[in-house]
Amino acid sequence: MNLSDKPIANPVVVLREEFDDWAVLFNPDTAAAAGTNPVGVAVWKLLDGRHCISEIVSKIQNGFEDAPGASGEEIVAFIDKLAENGFVGLELERK
Amino acid sequence: MRTPRSLDVEITSRCNLRCRYCYYFNNPALVYRDLPTDEWLAFFDELGSLGVMSVTLAGGEPFIREDLPDLIDGIVRNRMRFSLLSNGGLIGDDIAAFLSRTGRCDYVQVSVDGSQAEVHDSCRGQGSFDGALRGIGTLRRHRISVAVRVTIHRNNVRDLENIAHFLLDELGLPDFGTNSAGYMGTCRGNADDVLLTIAERQEGMATLLRLAAKYPGRISSNAGPLTDGRMWGRMEEARAQGRPALPNGGRLTACGCPSHKISVRADGVIVPCNMLGHLALGRINRDSLGDIWRNSPILARLRSRSAIPLAGFDFCAGCSYIPYCTGNCPGLAYTLTGLVDHPSPDACLRRFLEGGGALA
Repeated sequence: MNLSDKPIANPVVVLREEFDDWAVLFNPDTAAAAGTNPVGVAVWKLLDGRHCISEIVSKIQNGFEDAPGASGEEIVAFIDKLAENGFVGLELERK
Repeated sequence: MRTPRSLDVEITSRCNLRCRYCYYFNNPALVYRDLPTDEWLAFFDELGSLGVMSVTLAGGEPFIREDLPDLIDGIVRNRMRFSLLSNGGLIGDDIAAFLSRTGRCDYVQVSVDGSQAEVHDSCRGQGSFDGALRGIGTLRRHRISVAVRVTIHRNNVRDLENIAHFLLDELGLPDFGTNSAGYMGTCRGNADDVLLTIAERQEGMATLLRLAAKYPGRISSNAGPLTDGRMWGRMEEARAQGRPALPNGGRLTACGCPSHKISVRADGVIVPCNMLGHLALGRINRDSLGDIWRNSPILARLRSRSAIPLAGFDFCAGCSYIPYCTGNCPGLAYTLTGLVDHPSPDACLRRFLEGGGALA
């Protein structure tokens, strides 16, 4: 994905938030599940098709500063990984 | 965990069979009443809002419900996967095609207790073997994963070799699971005819351990003679070598289910587990499942059961296996002793040996 892309979460994917702010993302169509830390949870909640990746990186870095997983490269890699596994995509361009 | 990951739901109290070892029927703690479709659909909406990942539909016989497609639609709509536990006899092409189309069915478990009708039907009733095989065939035609479960009892313990050959070689199933009839429900009234004697249990253990070696990775168990054979073998080895206690040994650490799943009876009463149907935690659509999960004192007590040392029980006094023992199933402990917080006598290695049993 490019920094200007506006990724959108697959609406079928379930975010299961746990007590310690970690979470599990679960795709019931594929049974794939992935654990994620609080930074990943915050990223996930911004995958709404309105925020581009550079905006997401900026918002996360403002909120988490030096937290593990909050560097720009790590956030982009996380979104790419979600896209690879069908957890996130890009909305088709509207005509 | 804020909410349960999965649920076991007794979606009906009706069944087309009356198996002689059934744990479900003839349980004085249960109410044999079915809920209407709408009640279940409202509950599945709640499960969706809690992020529950999967639901196992059992009973009774879940395929007896005429509204099963509507119920499964409710599960799918709420972003969950599902599985079903069945005797296979009511599975037709239409429902199998429907299950397949959802793309969310993890598996359908079908019980097969013999390599031939005479053995299988001895505890499950005439015609049930043919029904199970018909159901398995239908499911496989629609590319639905079939999990066959063999419940071991007095009438099939000498058929295990044939059963393994039939299921794995003739039917070509990838694997099958085993357990054994337990002292619950209908089985309590038929215990003398159904439950394995110590000698039969020993024979079952030896046979299954041999078959598991012959068919690597294709025969599994979470209870019954194969589990006993493996677990007791490890316990005896550890004791004989004077090894330190196992990480989960010496306390009532079995089982861990209340930490990640919960159950609902056919009448809508929420319980910790289908094996503990007398422990009512609340009712669906009246009480919040999330609240029960987080705040129920009964669940809290079950979850802290793992801190109870076996050494404190008279039943375990002087036992050299304590450091390697988990106390096993609280459901069986309850039906056999009347106490949930007690080791299950059924899983006691010392008792097995003192009764004349031997390990291979």
